[in-house]
Amino acid sequence: MEPGLIPILILAAASLALAVGMLALGSLLGPRRFGRVKQMPYESGMDPIHDARRRFDVRFHLVAIVFLVFDVELLFLYPWAVANKDPQGLPRIAEQVGQGGGFSGGLVFAEVLFFVALLAMGFVYAWRKGVFRWR
Amino acid sequence: MTTAALIEILVKVILLLGGVMTAAAYFVLLERRMAAWVQDRVGPNRVGIPLTRIRIFGLGQPLADGVKFIMKEEYTPAHVDKRMYVLAPIVILVAALTVFAVIPFGSVLPVDLGIEGLSEPIRLVVAPGMDVAVFVIFGLSSIAVYGVILGGWASNNKYSFLGALRSSAQLIAYELPLGLGILGVVVAAGSLDLEAIISAQATSGWWFILAQPLGCVVFVVAAFAEAARLPFDLPECEQELIGGYHTEYSGIKLLLFLVAEFLHMITAAFLIVILFLGGWHFWGLTGAGEQVGLVQAVLRVMVLSGKVFLVILLFMLIRWSWPRFRFDQLMALAWKVMLPLGLVNLVSVAILDQLRTAWQLDAWWSNPLLIAANWGICLLAWIVVAYAQPLIADNRPQQELELYDVDPQV
Repeated sequence: MEPGLIPILILAAASLALAVGMLALGSLLGPRRFGRVKQMPYESGMDPIHDARRRFDVRFHLVAIVFLVFDVELLFLYPWAVANKDPQGLPRIAEQVGQGGGFSGGLVFAEVLFFVALLAMGFVYAWRKGVFRWR
Repeated sequence: MTTAALIEILVKVILLLGGVMTAAAYFVLLERRMAAWVQDRVGPNRVGIPLTRIRIFGLGQPLADGVKFIMKEEYTPAHVDKRMYVLAPIVILVAALTVFAVIPFGSVLPVDLGIEGLSEPIRLVVAPGMDVAVFVIFGLSSIAVYGVILGGWASNNKYSFLGALRSSAQLIAYELPLGLGILGVVVAAGSLDLEAIISAQATSGWWFILAQPLGCVVFVVAAFAEAARLPFDLPECEQELIGGYHTEYSGIKLLLFLVAEFLHMITAAFLIVILFLGGWHFWGLTGAGEQVGLVQAVLRVMVLSGKVFLVILLFMLIRWSWPRFRFDQLMALAWKVMLPLGLVNLVSVAILDQLRTAWQLDAWWSNPLLIAANWGICLLAWIVVAYAQPLIADNRPQQELELYDVDPQV
């Protein structure tokens, strides 16, 4: 396992212990009283008519799909952003391939711009289709 | 891993948990005093030392609140999904606390404790040298969405359900501008490590708020939305949804939700400071190098916490200065304004950065020139948005609407 991850896991375990401990303390120290009306869902004093889990607007689903598309595509840009200037990254590859290999930072940059343009085209398509229209 | 290193991590974790929880409690008090100040009230100023008449500006209030929350009834309604209902606050709090593992609280502390196996100098971050820190923050802050949806779904209450739906849509919509804002910084700094991003700003002396104003605006707006602070607190707007996704929660479980929300705000403030306001750097005061004396190290910690404090004050002032967005305005702002602006910022930053490397601009005027170009693009984008007015839509019910006028999508 990556040694840099150990502190994060320790912190996660400690905060889990903190959260569970607080819940346990609350259930140990608090009073307990039950009542039939108290167990009903809170709806501003009205008797609830039906279950809360009903069908909802399909646009939430559309937003989720568009989010997935853009988020995953954005994720592809991060490796380039890190490797662009790192001496162990693109400059080193360009050096190894040499002049005749047809590889340069400028070419990669042009490809990245093309990628962003594709992303923008998808965005414009979704906009024209009315995915972002709420009313 | 040696025992000394393990003990170092444990000490850091304990200090961090204690410090962050205390800070959250006292920021609640500060927020209440500030709200009172804005609304011309006095605010909580009476709780002091028990059994005496000493009040000390209400500094005992957070402790009293904590005791009150613990002594409240730990109540689970009959209609909820019990496992999910208990799990939701735990998930959201653990994710909110674990984010702090990669956030630096200063640079280094050059003290020699004389213990063998201890890394030296001590780095003021729980997980030092994490070269994917930005991804860790992204991943953990996305888990907050799970907590919200679990809570809203398990509660089986209509208010909770609506709150969870809105909240999930809002959080995922603003994650894209957040990522775009960070991406501009990553392109300029060439690293995902927060410490490296700070030192990139410190060595050049140009904070990223000066170099990338558009990215800063996009990131700050998205950070406000991710922290669900006003004007973006639609997930739990009291006037419409009672409490949103935590309507059915009470006692200590509600406390966990509220603390997690405050921690999100503190994390957002830290990220704004680290990514755009230069972290621990201040011109002529803190230096920029890796080697520091004790005085400079302490100064860096103070500068960083002072900046974070000011940003949190800004959060609180904005809470009482802006009305809440309508949901369609919220979505329009995310998709029609912030996402295009983020793309424009990314492309302009990348092109200018590439030009600097291609033309080898190293002269003293090259940095101000590129930054002036960025400010020009920011101004242009602002004017375009102001003229296009994407946030203004007529949402009033239209009686004269004919059947064929209805959008075929709807």
